[in-house]
Amino acid sequence: MTTPNEPTNPYGEQPKDPNDPFRAPDATPGQPAQPPAAPQYGTPQYGAPQYGAPQGSPYGQPGYPVANPASPTGYSAPPPNYLVWAILSTIFCCLPLGIASIVFAAQVNSKWNAGDFVGAQASSKKAKQFAIWAAVLGVVLGGISLAVRATSGDLS
Amino acid sequence: MNPSASATGHGSVADVQVPRAWRACAAPAAAALVSVGVVATLAVVDPNRPGHYPTCPFLWLTGMYCPGCGSLRALHDLAHLDLGGAWGMNPLLVVALPFVVGAWVLWVRRAWTGRERSRAMPASWIVTILVLVLFYWVLRNVPSLAPWLAP
Repeated sequence: MTTPNEPTNPYGEQPKDPNDPFRAPDATPGQPAQPPAAPQYGTPQYGAPQYGAPQGSPYGQPGYPVANPASPTGYSAPPPNYLVWAILSTIFCCLPLGIASIVFAAQVNSKWNAGDFVGAQASSKKAKQFAIWAAVLGVVLGGISLAVRATSGDLS
Repeated sequence: MNPSASATGHGSVADVQVPRAWRACAAPAAAALVSVGVVATLAVVDPNRPGHYPTCPFLWLTGMYCPGCGSLRALHDLAHLDLGGAWGMNPLLVVALPFVVGAWVLWVRRAWTGRERSRAMPASWIVTILVLVLFYWVLRNVPSLAPWLAP
């Protein structure tokens, strides 16, 4: 590493260009620059552009991941509104929770169409949860009703 | 296989893409399998005879019909190709079923092609469905409308 004529640095020590994005940050004068091909795991070098830095940015800031410019919000497709599951749980589970799931399904679409992508995601999660809870409670209550009627002998 | 090809992914695109489409269709396939199983069970085990299935919890707790009351018997009738009987048990189910099947077809298409929804349907449509279901819930408990709407 300290020999000036190692193969990865065939030009030896070069004058440090302050605008060089590939400039090794910690090379002290008199020491040869570290070969850039040697990754130093565990010792992040905040002065140097790292992976993820925007191309053509010579300022040496730490590279933040840049969102895809085609979808600046990060959302490209509307979240699922689980409307079919909401209706199925309403029809087969017989509880107002299914109705709540339909309400949240409507919220998913209204928020999405209004541009509230984060709110649409939240409503999507709620619609899913209410459909699941409608199904679970429907099965549990149905089982209880079956058990109660079976023990009381009233299965008409 | 050439290790460099497997490391870079070159040459394995066709090997990967077909299983991806099949794997994405696992969920709709499972839903279809469960649905067919349920309908087959309902076709064989008659829900008109008591004791086989739980009563609707809402009917059990309140004594009133819910939007789903009669849907098991309606599915039993549909499995025996008795559309009139199914309509008499739960017209909402008969109306909703084609849309459910259509939504399943779209689900399979999205899973197969890997393309997600690009648009959300107007929320007013969903609100319309909600109002219809709520009206149906109330009206099928009105005694004078029971011959048409109650199971």
